[in-house]
Amino acid sequence: MSPSLIEVLTQPDAFFSKIVTEKESLKIPALIILAGGITAAIYGYLMAGMSAKMMADLMPGMNTIIILSATAGALIMTFIFWLIVAGVFYLISSLFKGKGSFKRVLEVVGYGYLPQIAGSLITIVAAMVYIPKITVPTLTTAALQDPAMVQLVTKAFMHDPAMIQLTQITTLVSIVFLLLSANIWIFGIKYARSLSPRDAAICVGVPIVLYVLYLTYNLGVT
Amino acid sequence: MRINQSLTIICLLLLFGILPGITSAYSTPDSIVAAGKVYVASTTYDPGVFFTGDTGTVTVYVANGNSNQSIVVNHATIGDKNIRLTSSPYDTSANIGPLQTQAFTFSVATDAFDGTYYPTFSLSFRDADNLYYRAVVKVDNTPLELTLVDSPDAFTPGNKKTISLQVANPRTNNVRNVVLQVAGDGINATPTRTFIGDLAAGSKVPVNFTVTPDHPTTILLTLNYDNGDNPHTVTLEIPVVFSTDKKQANPVMSNVQVKTDAGIYHVTGDVNNAGLETANTVMVTSLAPAVPQDPYKTYVVGALKPDDFGSFEVTFTVGAGNTSIPIQLSYKDADGNIYNTVQDVKIISSGLSTSTEANGTSSYILPIAAAVIIVIVFIGGWALYLRRKK
Repeated sequence: MSPSLIEVLTQPDAFFSKIVTEKESLKIPALIILAGGITAAIYGYLMAGMSAKMMADLMPGMNTIIILSATAGALIMTFIFWLIVAGVFYLISSLFKGKGSFKRVLEVVGYGYLPQIAGSLITIVAAMVYIPKITVPTLTTAALQDPAMVQLVTKAFMHDPAMIQLTQITTLVSIVFLLLSANIWIFGIKYARSLSPRDAAICVGVPIVLYVLYLTYNLGVT
Repeated sequence: MRINQSLTIICLLLLFGILPGITSAYSTPDSIVAAGKVYVASTTYDPGVFFTGDTGTVTVYVANGNSNQSIVVNHATIGDKNIRLTSSPYDTSANIGPLQTQAFTFSVATDAFDGTYYPTFSLSFRDADNLYYRAVVKVDNTPLELTLVDSPDAFTPGNKKTISLQVANPRTNNVRNVVLQVAGDGINATPTRTFIGDLAAGSKVPVNFTVTPDHPTTILLTLNYDNGDNPHTVTLEIPVVFSTDKKQANPVMSNVQVKTDAGIYHVTGDVNNAGLETANTVMVTSLAPAVPQDPYKTYVVGALKPDDFGSFEVTFTVGAGNTSIPIQLSYKDADGNIYNTVQDVKIISSGLSTSTEANGTSSYILPIAAAVIIVIVFIGGWALYLRRKK
């Protein structure tokens, strides 16, 4: 009998100890990633709406292209992110002579993505609250000919007070839920690659903490 | 003997015959009657009313009322101790034809005080006695009135103000060549001389001029005029003291809103005239460091009456590092003086300005600190967990 998904959040150690006894399966992890991708796509759709508004005057249908590409891009990037994270963990765990297939790593990373769905839902709510408050400048065709003007417009957009607050909130939410996922991934990698808790913590913790520090740095320079 | 007697009788007869003829060449009943029909038709003084010290002329028009007899006059004069004759009297014979009028003009002067005087005109007839006539004339030292009708509540340096005057003639005679002259240290007056011309008795004329003072001073107004040929002057001083005009227009910006569009800032708002005078040609524009851009580099609101308001919109771009932009509001008063007021309007900085960074840094500290704490909690938690597992 498969363990409950709730157990991933509450008792990840026990959850993955049971998972590794079963045959590798990416069905549920892929569904989790898909759910995360859909929430990311919704967030991308909301944010793309502002970019489309900024460039609406450039050419007819431009806003549709922007919104479609942003929405689809967010969905696809979630799956790519899944592969990248799994690949990074797999490579680093290899340094610790980890055993276990890449597919198993993909499986545990997929399960560990579950908290991020909740994080994405929170960012969607934040976006719905803050986006109406953001003043979106419009780029004209003439303005697009001047790189300095484009830079000026983009800066004005990014430095809108509501935009700054939205960025800060979504970044903090992402960090919190990424670390929750990292917590799960450590237990998952421990079983997926047969590592000690210390080695698994290093395999997951180092790249995730570095990424979080990068996000934190971006908060200061945005 | 007889011959002598006869000659004597003849001489006596001739003498008696000639005497009546001689007598009839001087006063005869007819000439006296004819002289009685000679009268002074009118007298004219120029000026009509004298100032003390004035000189002038008096013309006496003598009419011969006889329809068929000329009158010979041989002496005419006028004057008394108050109205002195300054020209020679008429000492030559003149013939005044039937129903004709003869003018006798004299120069006179007076040093008398205010009052009515009666110099006597006398005319001597060759064949009769004299004619006497009292030619009444007035001496009045009432000058022209120069009245300040309207002047600005306050003068300000370099601003043109209009001053309204009234020139009135309270005298009973006309005056000529009325000229108003404006002078003063540190003022620029326009016009400096105003020719009014003749001013009839009891009449008045308005006179306006503008003055632009550089510093507190006194405007000296000099009104020159001629009473006959005698120049007279009236002066008036107007002090120029700089102060705040309590009634002046006072446009105030309100409901100011800032939006950005394609990197161009749009500042919209209302202008209310909180003053008591009309603000003409109200204009709104942005000042450096802002660079005004089309479509509203400068917005002309137009004239605003007291308590009236109008909307405005100005567009501009601004470089990085600016959090507020001076918006200039200018207007003109009724004299065309331009007044400027500047109000800073906060904008959303499009660049990493110093002040924005100062504010931005504080706004970033909290989330960064929160992120760092979260990471520390995560690392610490795992470190503690791993230590316990050992």
